[in-house]
Amino acid sequence: MAPKAGGDAIKANSSVYKDKSKPTDIRLSNINAAKAVADAIRTSLGPRGMDKMIQAANGEVTITNDGATILKQMSVIHPAAKMLVELSRAQDIEAGDGTTSVVVIAGALLDSAEKLLQKGIHPTVISDGFQKALQLALQVVENMSTPVDLNNEDALLKAAATSLNSKVVSQHSTILAPIAVQAIRAVMEPIVSGVGARVDLRDVKVIERIGGTVEDAELIQGLVIPHRAANVNGPHRIEKAKVGLIQFCISPPKTDMDHNVIVSDYAAMDRVLKEERQYILNMVKQIKKAGCNVLLVQKSILRDALSDLAVHFLDKIKTMVIKDIEREDIEFVCKTLGCRPIASLDHFTAENLVNVDLVEEINEPGGKYIKMTGCGQGGRTVSVLVRGSSGAVVAEAARSLHDALCAVRCVARRPALLAGGGAPEAAAAASLARASLAAPGADHYCLRAYADALEVIPSTLAENAGLNPIETVTELRAAHAAGAGGGAGVNVRRGRVTDMRTEHVLQPLHVTASALALATETVRAILKIDDIINTMN
Amino acid sequence: MSTIAAPLSVAGTRSCGDPVRTQNVMAAAAIANIVKSSLGPVGLDKMLVDDIGDVTVTNDGATILKMLEVEHPAAKVLVELAQLQDEEVGDGTTSVVIIAAELLKNADELVKTKIHPTSIISGYRLACKEAVKYIQDNLTVTVESLGRPSLINTAKTTMSSKLIGADADFFSEMVVDAAQAIKTMNPRGNTIYPIKAINILKAHGRSARESVLVKGYALNCTVASQAMPKKILNAKIACLDFSLQKTKMKLGVQVLVTDPEKLEAIRARELDITKERLQKILATGVNVILCTGGIDDLCLKYFVEAGAMGVRRCKKADLKRIAKATGATFLTSLTNMDGEEVFEANMIGEAAEVIQEQICDDQLILIKGPAARTAASLILRGPTDAYCDEMERSAHDALCAVRRVLESGKLVPGGGAVEAALSIYLENFATTLSSREQLAIAAFAQSLLVIPKTLAVNAARDATDLVAKLRAYHNSSQTKVEHANLKWVGLDLTEGTLRDNLAAGVLEPAISKIKSLKFATEAAITILRIDDMIKLDPEQRGKSYEDACNAGELD
Repeated sequence: MAPKAGGDAIKANSSVYKDKSKPTDIRLSNINAAKAVADAIRTSLGPRGMDKMIQAANGEVTITNDGATILKQMSVIHPAAKMLVELSRAQDIEAGDGTTSVVVIAGALLDSAEKLLQKGIHPTVISDGFQKALQLALQVVENMSTPVDLNNEDALLKAAATSLNSKVVSQHSTILAPIAVQAIRAVMEPIVSGVGARVDLRDVKVIERIGGTVEDAELIQGLVIPHRAANVNGPHRIEKAKVGLIQFCISPPKTDMDHNVIVSDYAAMDRVLKEERQYILNMVKQIKKAGCNVLLVQKSILRDALSDLAVHFLDKIKTMVIKDIEREDIEFVCKTLGCRPIASLDHFTAENLVNVDLVEEINEPGGKYIKMTGCGQGGRTVSVLVRGSSGAVVAEAARSLHDALCAVRCVARRPALLAGGGAPEAAAAASLARASLAAPGADHYCLRAYADALEVIPSTLAENAGLNPIETVTELRAAHAAGAGGGAGVNVRRGRVTDMRTEHVLQPLHVTASALALATETVRAILKIDDIINTMN
Repeated sequence: MSTIAAPLSVAGTRSCGDPVRTQNVMAAAAIANIVKSSLGPVGLDKMLVDDIGDVTVTNDGATILKMLEVEHPAAKVLVELAQLQDEEVGDGTTSVVIIAAELLKNADELVKTKIHPTSIISGYRLACKEAVKYIQDNLTVTVESLGRPSLINTAKTTMSSKLIGADADFFSEMVVDAAQAIKTMNPRGNTIYPIKAINILKAHGRSARESVLVKGYALNCTVASQAMPKKILNAKIACLDFSLQKTKMKLGVQVLVTDPEKLEAIRARELDITKERLQKILATGVNVILCTGGIDDLCLKYFVEAGAMGVRRCKKADLKRIAKATGATFLTSLTNMDGEEVFEANMIGEAAEVIQEQICDDQLILIKGPAARTAASLILRGPTDAYCDEMERSAHDALCAVRRVLESGKLVPGGGAVEAALSIYLENFATTLSSREQLAIAAFAQSLLVIPKTLAVNAARDATDLVAKLRAYHNSSQTKVEHANLKWVGLDLTEGTLRDNLAAGVLEPAISKIKSLKFATEAAITILRIDDMIKLDPEQRGKSYEDACNAGELD
């Protein structure tokens, strides 16, 4: 692993560093490990990308195409490889989509950096050169983007469909893409006197259910609770419901550990039993008085949220009761219904209830669930019910939908779209190559190397689709060098280079820009490492 | 991109590329081979012995696979597939696995001839869509046009492959009657057949033909005391979800007495609370009390005095169904809205007769002629426990098939007729396409033939010959208008010839065929898309950086 850098071409300042073999070794080891990670997920890029099957330590099997999920599950050991896993996660958080591309770009950049190192260029010089290249590339990408109007549903649909096309659910993209777009449009809040809109993905709740096929996925303007009502003889369908969400329990209060109720008379026994009934009855009567006919009860750990007796009474007053609402779901439930959680019986009054048009318990082979629709006073939230024939398919469909939601969110945040199919990368590469001719010194090599590295995206797309990567990339390069327009990309369906804008393959600018920026930053960080100190024993 | 694949160090093993696909396909084929020989009317059974030594003899694909404890992740997908078919359709679990495995096998062949998996996948998807459309448009008949015999025939077709196939005439009548007895309307006004409401009891002893269908509800319990009546006509039933036992104080309530007399009073009171409850119930004229909890021996006295029947420790699910059938209220407590304990007359359910009968060694309580709605229970008899278990599964499959037919009202001919027709149709369809999906659709068509082939092989017939003849018939039915009726031709496995399976009464629910095609395609695609497999080591502590360093994996 000794550096091959030698010969007369090296500058004086790099000869000092040449003698240090350890930093070079470390750097090479890091680069190799990171490249291995990129290689591992390269085959899942693009519409013709394949899936990975990962069997976790506990025997659970995940089948996925999502870069961030693959890397998270893979549990790599090498610290530099872990940096790439982090990188993919960062992209997942920032953009939500393009998690595979970001790692593939980082891998290609490292590969180019390795060649530059062998030429004897100092790592910091490479690092700075890459930073300059990034600025240039971002400018090119921004210039070729077309702004979109957020009311233009068509453009958003295209972005969502492009994101879904690489997944196992691609044949259902005509169903899932509109769901994603409608969901985001329902929850976004336009920024006043600014560009774009604010979207909080927590307002879109994705619920997974096994049974049926992916085609049965539906968007619900309301609330879905994935378990059954607690009633024994109660109603299963309530129209014009009045819903209350309580955080207290309808069960007999427990005495403290060291306190006891002491009964010394048989009459007292009757009283104890009767008091318990009366206590519960009072609560139920208060609920009835407020006019509530659907009751949501927060999950309680210390004691039963509902005693059998309480269920019995609630059955009698024909109130549907749903228990075990998770604590973290309370916020979503409140926002959806437009209600406030009721923490004590005293506040259980009519004004704290909300009207819902229809509350329904739906019975299916896979189990029962509650659906609430028509929440007039509700906030801007939606629920999406994802179906699939097996656990693996449902989980992957939910992940794919998440990616599509994120893609649409990116457009909302920064309303500009780019052509897909490797077009922005190819365009950036073309103009970087031009810029490199004018740049003197080490920057020349760095810009050149960065341009080459960017071509990994079209090349991998072509490779995964079974096309000849060399032929495709050169054709693409020619198209961009001729200035034929920024839209030329790899058309996987037809197997040649065409204008991707006419193919309706569009991706958000934010995804590409953030992928380039994050990948470059990670590469710069890896290049700057010259030692690993193991402090574990 | 680097061409030297640097070893990626993960805490486990990783394999990628085509070998993974081949390996997955092999695993799927292995699974299919296990269940292959149990397909069809002449399919054979499997004996499964688990680690405790319990024996299961079955012909049901889903049951076999469930008990196998499959390790390979791709094979697990197929096991899940069979389970899903069982849940969603209830029948056709074996064929769905066989089709999925065959689709994979043919896809793997295509991949080896350098066709990209995604092309195959899109071809399969197209083929599946076309096949489903073709079944719906051309191969279905409605129940109305065939009437009740079609229901009987559907049940018979399902049972023909099972242990009770010999008595299919007898059982199919029983199953159809049972399914029709439980017909109800759901709140949205659709007619549904909740087959879970049919209580299937097994009693070992006597021959299978002595199984009976009870128009009512059979309960695997006995009366609480021998002194109680064993037969009550015009029964008035109360369903209680609490016990009639001595009242106990809750945790945290302490009984502290200083006076021995008071102790006696408290003891008496403990009993009296229950006694009062019981008397309130009996006072309304109730003569049958079914209880999910226990009944104290001391309380039995009151029952006997009133000439009422008491049954303790009934299953909650049973009791809920009885309550529905008899019109009783399923009571978790007697308390009314004033906090007082009362039992009202409208909580009583009625039935024509409640009787305790001896069936083999067991005493069963039969609730005949429930007032609110009809109910059905099957009491299955058989020479061994394993036999009874298999009978239950077969009856369940048949019930599911009948229910699908009743709910959807569409049938298709069995005996490989649909598969053969589809294979001809899809092959013709493939030749009309000029894209790369053509080969994949042809492969899909080929894969479907595995069903008639396996049926013939299991019946020890000449599969090549029979399938060739079958295809010839279907080809002429699709090309010549005057031969259109040949589309109902399928295999006759007892004679080893071909016949019109619609006339012969070999029928299957259309929805079962359509769903199994869809599920099989989805499963095959899921496995085909995998080109990389990472198996992490099942150890608690992750491999540390130092371990990897020492092993030289990072160099």
